[in-house]
Amino acid sequence: MIKWRWLWAILLGIGGLVGNFGIAFADYPTRPITMVVPFPPGGVADLTARPLAAALEPILKQPVAVVNKSGAGGAVGMQFVAVAKPDGYTLLLALSSISVMPEVDKLFGRPQTYKREDFVPIALLNADPTVLAIRKEAPWKSVADFVADAKKRPGEIKYSSSGMYGTLHVAMEMFAHAAGIKLRHIPTQGGGPALTALLGGHVDAFAVGPSVIASQLKAGTVRVLACWGAKRLASMPDIPTFIELGYKDVEFYIWAGLFAPKATPPEIVKILREATKKAAHSAEFKNAMDKLNTPIYYLDGPDFQKFWDEDAARLARAIRNIGKVE
Amino acid sequence: MSIDRVSGLALLGIAIFVAVESRVLPFGTHSRPGPAYLPFILALFLGAMSLILIFYPKKDSLIIKQLRWREGRHALAILACCFFGTFAIEQLGYRITMIIILGFLFAVLERMKIWWALLWTLGLALGSFWVFDSLLKVPLPRGGLGI
Amino acid sequence: MTETFQNLWLGFATALTPANLFYALMGCLIGTMVGVLPGVGPLAGISLLLPTTFGLDPTGGLILLCGVYYGAMYGGSTTSILMRIPGEAASVMTCIDGYAMAQKGRAGPALFISAFGSYIAGTLSVIGLMFLAPPLARFALGFGPPEYFSLLAMGLIVLGYMTGGSMVKNLAMIALGLLCGMIGIDHMSGYFRFSYGVAALGDGIGVVPVAVGLFGIAEILSTAGQEKRPEVIKPKLRDLLPSREEFRDALKPIGRGTILGFFIGIIPGSAHIISTFVSYAVERRLSKHPEKFGRGAIEGVAAPESANNAASEGALVPMLALGVPTGPIPAVLLAALMVHGINPGPLFIKEQPVIFWGLIASMYIGNFVLLLLNLPLVGLFVNFLRIPYKILYPMILMFCMVGVYAVNTSYVDVAIMSVMGMLGYLLRKFDYETAPIVLGVVIAPIIEMSFRQALAMSGGKYSIFIQRPISALFLAGAFLMIILALRPLIKKGIDWGWRSQLTKAEKGD
Repeated sequence: MIKWRWLWAILLGIGGLVGNFGIAFADYPTRPITMVVPFPPGGVADLTARPLAAALEPILKQPVAVVNKSGAGGAVGMQFVAVAKPDGYTLLLALSSISVMPEVDKLFGRPQTYKREDFVPIALLNADPTVLAIRKEAPWKSVADFVADAKKRPGEIKYSSSGMYGTLHVAMEMFAHAAGIKLRHIPTQGGGPALTALLGGHVDAFAVGPSVIASQLKAGTVRVLACWGAKRLASMPDIPTFIELGYKDVEFYIWAGLFAPKATPPEIVKILREATKKAAHSAEFKNAMDKLNTPIYYLDGPDFQKFWDEDAARLARAIRNIGKVE
Repeated sequence: MSIDRVSGLALLGIAIFVAVESRVLPFGTHSRPGPAYLPFILALFLGAMSLILIFYPKKDSLIIKQLRWREGRHALAILACCFFGTFAIEQLGYRITMIIILGFLFAVLERMKIWWALLWTLGLALGSFWVFDSLLKVPLPRGGLGI
Repeated sequence: MTETFQNLWLGFATALTPANLFYALMGCLIGTMVGVLPGVGPLAGISLLLPTTFGLDPTGGLILLCGVYYGAMYGGSTTSILMRIPGEAASVMTCIDGYAMAQKGRAGPALFISAFGSYIAGTLSVIGLMFLAPPLARFALGFGPPEYFSLLAMGLIVLGYMTGGSMVKNLAMIALGLLCGMIGIDHMSGYFRFSYGVAALGDGIGVVPVAVGLFGIAEILSTAGQEKRPEVIKPKLRDLLPSREEFRDALKPIGRGTILGFFIGIIPGSAHIISTFVSYAVERRLSKHPEKFGRGAIEGVAAPESANNAASEGALVPMLALGVPTGPIPAVLLAALMVHGINPGPLFIKEQPVIFWGLIASMYIGNFVLLLLNLPLVGLFVNFLRIPYKILYPMILMFCMVGVYAVNTSYVDVAIMSVMGMLGYLLRKFDYETAPIVLGVVIAPIIEMSFRQALAMSGGKYSIFIQRPISALFLAGAFLMIILALRPLIKKGIDWGWRSQLTKAEKGD
């Protein structure tokens, strides 16, 4: 007599095994995906990740959950994804600081928490150049005035930043190095305090993302002298770029991009790139980015890799120029 | 030895440890303090306070022998649970970890009746998981077994 | 003036729509829940709800999130009073006298006064917010690094003798707390301190694991094994309400706590917990019976709780008036607005009167709702104490662990909590106060950074601290406090000298 019970058990067992270990790729994704944001909620990365995740869900037909793993300037979350299982179910939405931290670690001679090579870029989503903001009472009418003043009194003009080797610090030092001037750096604990320091008159200038400064600019409490982009900003067409003004190689972007662990199978990476392309061009994502005053700047995987490498090289040079400050 | 003296010694140890450890970092100058500046000063201050405690303990403080440790065994067991939870929560998953911890506390430490302990353990472990994971959408780890 | 009232009318019209009322109620409920759960604080609650607000209209979303924010301040005191576990970091001070009151059977009055004080503080702060937001915000911006440093230095001195027990021990605990707060990355130089390669320590020890560990876990460790369990008297209705004397004693602390909390709250970058410590210390200094503090003084509950709520609403002043985030929570609130395309800046109040005044009106309503919510719950909560401790403490342990883990989904936080629990247990055995450690952890990054930023600003000259008027004022205050504090020590020193002469004389006989 056939023991039906045994047959069922064996069939179920085989089905379970196949389902879990078998044809995983062709059916990717079969379960929810986690998008790690290595910063606290409410920041630029977070506000880009959430609409993206929402736009990806109908395309991938699986829930995409945004998980904030903040700490150490983003290193905690980035390290988490660098060592995560490369099965395509853990992604990283990182900002340009991803290129900065390994360089800083190298500078200090300490083991790197992760390396750029630990990630494969999926797509670039936005790339805002920073702008140079000064108080409305400040005497400088242009970058030339600023540089001339800085040369007259080196080390006297103060600027705030979001922290040592943070994006705002590196950007400013890039300009200072190219202009041959010396400024005084006052680090703060983040972008918010850096803005507060400028508004309160405790510093004279700082580099900032255009979306953050837009409302202050409109109210007239600050002025903007130049921007760190290759082209002028659509939202501030009268503001010249540093390159226009003759400062070569002074380009700095606060960008956000989607990454996956390096060893993720190429088929899955391809699926993700297609899906992200569709999501980034979707109406909902566009809408969300418009509301945040952050124009979409989409680059697909290979183009993004090129952009990333160039950007990282620029940043590495700038960091080496800054050197260690005791 | 009074407790003030003993604790003072411990604090002195901490102060010395901090002072030594902060020597690796640059001290900076008085006009540009480095990362080791304030920790070192605090270590000196803590050291000073601990020396005061060692040499001028409060007159009516207890002596070591007088300390009561009756709840010590219990406390140790609970601490062990805490540390176990720390490492197990991501390896075994939240629910399994909690079931182990609560089961241990109820059944073994407090010696409740087995079925009563089981009820509380499962109720609290699964209930809290539901509140946090499903209601509040805080992702609680599911561990290697996927539970 | 009339314009303000017209705007307020508009605000109430907005806030009283069924949808916005619902959001306010939801926010308050979730806030209370989040506040009651140890570890999970308003920041975690707001961050979790942030995505939900994307789909709502901006006014509704902001009302919801703010409801969670000040609601958590109400809920945080509940576990502090009943179980000596801070519901969220800022409720640490309430643990001290609140729990002492609960042990004397006065849990009901403690809960009542805390809710009542929170309501008065909340409402008065909204009035302040309403009338004084723009000028206050500008004043707050004038607080730069030198002012911060001097203010915090004064605060630390004040703390040195805030609770009973030896001043030396308190100072040692403050130093220890400050050192713990310096673990992690040094923002001024980029070096990692005392983190030994553990990435999660790179940001420092959070205040949440420290507070929950030092108070919650340590409490369980101390009490669980006791053979004699604390007797909980079944409370009669009369015992739930404060006595006339308690009520009278609490009024002035509520007033002082509100003003102190509000002004400390508007300063960008200060943490709410600072307002609770300072108001506690001030009450202790002003009280005619300072020895009551630590043993169940109603002032020790009323003042911190009021300061707490006032500070949380004060923190909204620079955010709403100038678009400047004063801390992580206002930053998330700002993000909630930015997502809808609204960029709060100096023109926010003029350009978005519906949102601003709707929020103001909703805060009046929310505070009132919370009062109504919390008062009847006092009876319910007090009965919670009657659960046999052997069932209660594993439950508490579980909530602490999951609460602390949930903040950052990091098991390192749970490890820190456990270590702090052990430390807290030992410290209590050896007769030390643990609250200063929590304050040290919170203050350390701010005070150190302010100190070094101020020096960077002045190019290394220490005179900057005295040249700026506000900073000079605080430093003078700190100096004064040191003198006042040393007077008894000097007297004691003379006493010691005299006594040791006596003993020598005795020995000589």
